[in-house]
Amino acid sequence: MRERLRNAPLLRPVIEALSIAKERAERGYGSVPNTLRLLLLAALLIAVPFYENPLGGGVVFDDRWLSVFRLVGLYIMLGIGLNIVVGYAGLLDLGYVAFFATGAYAYALLASPASPAIDFPIEDVPWLFWAMLPIALVVGAFTGVLLGLPVLPLRGDYLAIVTLGFGEIIRLFLINKDDWTGGSQGLYGIRAPPLPDVPLLNITELKSTALTEWYLFIVVGVFLVAFCAGRLRDSRIGRAWEAIREDEDVASAMGVDIVKYKLLAFAMGAAIGSFGGTIFASFQGSAIPEDFNLLVSINVVAIVVIGGMGSTPGVVVGALILIGIPDFLRFKEASDLLGLLDPIVPFADTHNWAEDLRNNRFIVFGALLVIVMVLRPVGILPSSRRKLEFAAPVDEAAI
Amino acid sequence: MTDTTGPMLVTRGLTKRFEGVVALSNLDLVVEKRAIAGLIGPNGAGKTTLFNVVTGFYAADEGEIELAGQTINRLAPHAVAALGLSRTFQNIRLFANMTALENVLVGRHLHAAFALEKTEREEDTGGESRSALASIPRRALSSVGVVWEVIATLARTPDVRLAERAAVERCLEVLAFVGLRGKHDELARNLPYGGQRRLELARALATNPRLLLLDEPTAGMNPHESQEIVGLIRSVRDDLGMTVLLIEHQMRVVMGVCEQITVLDYGEKIAEGPPEAVQRNKRVIEAYLGTRSIGIDSGAA
Repeated sequence: MRERLRNAPLLRPVIEALSIAKERAERGYGSVPNTLRLLLLAALLIAVPFYENPLGGGVVFDDRWLSVFRLVGLYIMLGIGLNIVVGYAGLLDLGYVAFFATGAYAYALLASPASPAIDFPIEDVPWLFWAMLPIALVVGAFTGVLLGLPVLPLRGDYLAIVTLGFGEIIRLFLINKDDWTGGSQGLYGIRAPPLPDVPLLNITELKSTALTEWYLFIVVGVFLVAFCAGRLRDSRIGRAWEAIREDEDVASAMGVDIVKYKLLAFAMGAAIGSFGGTIFASFQGSAIPEDFNLLVSINVVAIVVIGGMGSTPGVVVGALILIGIPDFLRFKEASDLLGLLDPIVPFADTHNWAEDLRNNRFIVFGALLVIVMVLRPVGILPSSRRKLEFAAPVDEAAI
Repeated sequence: MTDTTGPMLVTRGLTKRFEGVVALSNLDLVVEKRAIAGLIGPNGAGKTTLFNVVTGFYAADEGEIELAGQTINRLAPHAVAALGLSRTFQNIRLFANMTALENVLVGRHLHAAFALEKTEREEDTGGESRSALASIPRRALSSVGVVWEVIATLARTPDVRLAERAAVERCLEVLAFVGLRGKHDELARNLPYGGQRRLELARALATNPRLLLLDEPTAGMNPHESQEIVGLIRSVRDDLGMTVLLIEHQMRVVMGVCEQITVLDYGEKIAEGPPEAVQRNKRVIEAYLGTRSIGIDSGAA
């Protein structure tokens, strides 16, 4: 079909022109050094809270936007973390929320006034949050190894099912171990970490400084996590993971210690998940078991799969779509945008269809996901190698 | 620790059973250092099982395996590999979605390490300076080592960069050695069949083994290609000083390259010796062609 389209006489010049343009654009973009590209991107992202609306009315992205971005950023971090386990090492982990909860409760146990673990006024320790970030990494890595040990011999679907169980076990544990975790009430009243006071950020009165600072913190965090994941991937460690993903037996015959590197993948993924959990607990101001349900795991796996396994840009796109869009649909702007379609929607005058859409956004969303996976099974922005993997299924059979 | 004079590989009374099927039965095998030895036998004779047992994929039910005087049964495959034993696979098992260079780099895994992560073998040859470290229990050292490796990798220390560059250089040499110069960026899956066989060999060579096990290295190749592989195998022994044990069905290859041949049938050794002797051996001919006495046997029963 596609081949025939390409050969259609009328379309051919157009397609050729397009492909030349695309090639030129790619070459032009490719000639920009990588670091410069990243710096540009970072500058653009950091400036996001300060974009002025040219039509007046203050900034483009107000508090609501920033809080959406904050959540998206958090999920990007989680996605990158899970990508290490699923994308790099090929271990399908459906219980990622366990590590997210670990980090959140590790912080909440120390920072919440409701916590039974401490009886001194923790508000007196302003640097607690910053101290907890590295500790969350270590605690997370440790939990990752602990949960990784029993599932070491499992592969594929069996691994997925057992890890799925872990996610639920953690949640139930948090509810039932109420003398420590406050049961289903959770640990609340966590004070927002005192972020450094930067007067420069106070340029507009329309926005709370806190959210701007949170946003910037998350941007920096995402860059840091992405950087670390990239370094790991392009190393001896990353190659060992990839070899395990491709063929575990052969990897071990080549001297790769399967146990060590599988546990390392779990530990690295868990460390990042736990890191995200600590951040989540502090901006949420609480850690409640219900926040750590199955949906979190599913969301993160979906981000990785939709975005493209093993690919960090894919995770960013996946998080923007899966976390950003549902939140955006709650905005007035979304209704306004959809309102523009009223003239062409036949039942617009009888139904407030935008409202219906908004209320049923998860159903719409599920359908969208199915469509994406059918049309593009490799994900939206797959890593270059995985793209090739799916490109030649014939060769796979030959091997 | 390892003796320099004895044979490279010794198995004593090696037995492996699968649910009542005896795949290897009381097998004694000796492969001398710097030999090219062959392992032949009809399908299902236990040749590949022997490879799998020796490399630690299967645990032997009975018997002992020694690599250059060191007992290696009960070791995990990666530990066996670290002691200098590498292999290729009968049905090509490359990391299909990695490039040729990356495949070989995985083979270089044990040697691409730096500082604490050095393997035992390199410590042996690397001098006495590390003897203090060697006294610490290996497992503890390894978990400290992995944390250190992660930190060094994240920081991309000069050590890491150096080790990586050296590994890449070495792997390019190995690729050139097997005749895949310039193919390093090709995905393994996209290489032609012969290239894939060569890449498997390169990956095994990159581990810098003392003993190389080749499982049907010329399977599916035409006589010309086979001859090239035979040359390569000779060069592995003559130029790299490695010992080779190979399984092969093409008699032309086996008889041409092997100095010592062991014949298996139903998991038992039925003959061994130089090629000419094995070729004339009555039991070998029977195993391959069947016995003329079938009629008599069934008649007696």
